[in-house]
Amino acid sequence: MDVAIIDYYANHGKSFLHKAKAFWKIIFAALIIASIIITNEFYLLLGIYIALVTIATWTKLSVTKILTIAAYPAIFALIFAIASWNGSWLRAGVIMLKALSAALTMVILIVTTPYPDVFNAIRPAVPKIIAEGLFVTYRSVFILLELTDDLIKGLKVRGGITRRKYISNVKNFSSGIGLLIVRGFDYSEKFYGVMNVRGYGGKISSGKTQNGIGRNDVIALIIGILIFAVSLGTVIEKSLLEFSIYALVCSVIALVISSIYVQFNS
Amino acid sequence: MSHLHIPDGVLPGWIILAGWIFTALILAFSLYRVRSTELKRKIPLIGIISALMIVCMTIPIIPPVYHINLSVIAGIILGPALAFISIFIVDLIIAMFGHGGITVVGLNTVVVGAEAFIGFYLFQLFMALMGRDSIMWSSGLAAVISLILSTSLLIGVVYLSQINPELVIAVEEDHSTEDTQEHNIQEIPKELVKGINIKSFAKTILILLGVGWIIEGIITAFVIKYVSRVRPDLILSEET
Repeated sequence: MDVAIIDYYANHGKSFLHKAKAFWKIIFAALIIASIIITNEFYLLLGIYIALVTIATWTKLSVTKILTIAAYPAIFALIFAIASWNGSWLRAGVIMLKALSAALTMVILIVTTPYPDVFNAIRPAVPKIIAEGLFVTYRSVFILLELTDDLIKGLKVRGGITRRKYISNVKNFSSGIGLLIVRGFDYSEKFYGVMNVRGYGGKISSGKTQNGIGRNDVIALIIGILIFAVSLGTVIEKSLLEFSIYALVCSVIALVISSIYVQFNS
Repeated sequence: MSHLHIPDGVLPGWIILAGWIFTALILAFSLYRVRSTELKRKIPLIGIISALMIVCMTIPIIPPVYHINLSVIAGIILGPALAFISIFIVDLIIAMFGHGGITVVGLNTVVVGAEAFIGFYLFQLFMALMGRDSIMWSSGLAAVISLILSTSLLIGVVYLSQINPELVIAVEEDHSTEDTQEHNIQEIPKELVKGINIKSFAKTILILLGVGWIIEGIITAFVIKYVSRVRPDLILSEET
């Protein structure tokens, strides 16, 4: 998980998806995930995945990096695919594509939306302690990442992690994690003290939620609705599945055109 | 990777929904249980332990997927109720990275939350049985056993997901006049168990995760030993 890179992408991107509001992008992601879940046809799922890669090119970020981040669940999906193996590569492909497409959707959402905006949008739907916990966790991740980086460097430089000394490595690494817990606890006490001084009463201010719908929100929403409509159509009317190969071809054409366009405009 | 993050789209809707309902109920119970504690004081601690779990997931022990979870450590330090809240936060955030499905956050929280819950009570039990000097063994054993049980829970979830409840209900209705309901519950027809080969699935993950249990158990033991020396109040604090 490249937490720091994801955060950088979300805060420094300039695409239309970066400009769209978090609430509408969550709806966009929900529509695409719903379409992935209801679809069981290989070519249509491949079409959705390629459409998502196309959307990833529109973010003007490193598509390779986005695809790498979103490829993580492939390993878990592979276990499910092996366990479901019935001699059909298409069935295994469906399981893999479902996991990869859903992950890519979430990664597109998160590389184009700063975390606080996502948490703010879901705040009304979760208990207060979870909403506050999400903000504090997000803030703490970056502090701990820095501490962890220093810790691992320190362990390596001082011979705490060396080749072939597995027991000693595990012991030193574990002590490092223990140190992080202790330092993290001290940090949480300080954090609470500072927040109390600033008038913390159990609610972290996260800025105002932007209301209304703009041009970028409408574009994101239309893409989501379009993908969902195609999937829903094939679920309601099975005969439409014959045309799923056309959906795949359309996605490939869109990807080629988008890649060329982005290449020439970057 | 001492447990398996269920990805999106591999399990049927009814079990995903059941996972969310179950998680919501446990969260509600956890919040009820911690109602007397000063929550605004606990939020930074929940945040730091959740962040630590996320950070540890970024460190591959055996690349590319083996990482430690610290779920049992979270259970021992925070107590089962706050640990469950913390694990829900972690699962929600990592699902946004595509690390585990977003629709199955409920199920993943139940599975990982079980590690923290069982780990906490086993740790308390072993400490009571073997004494405070055995903190390393108590925590290590608690971690390994809770991971074995949470993996069994995962296999159970996958097994249950292969049964179509609508078909089961239909079969039970067909035979209701023959007074064979007990028979139906015991013997689910083979045609209703479809999709994932549960034996193959169980074998695969038991082989893969077995290594993870041992690694996580050893690391948990050393971490708890270290923390108990430096800050014993963190390990043996009030139960929440």
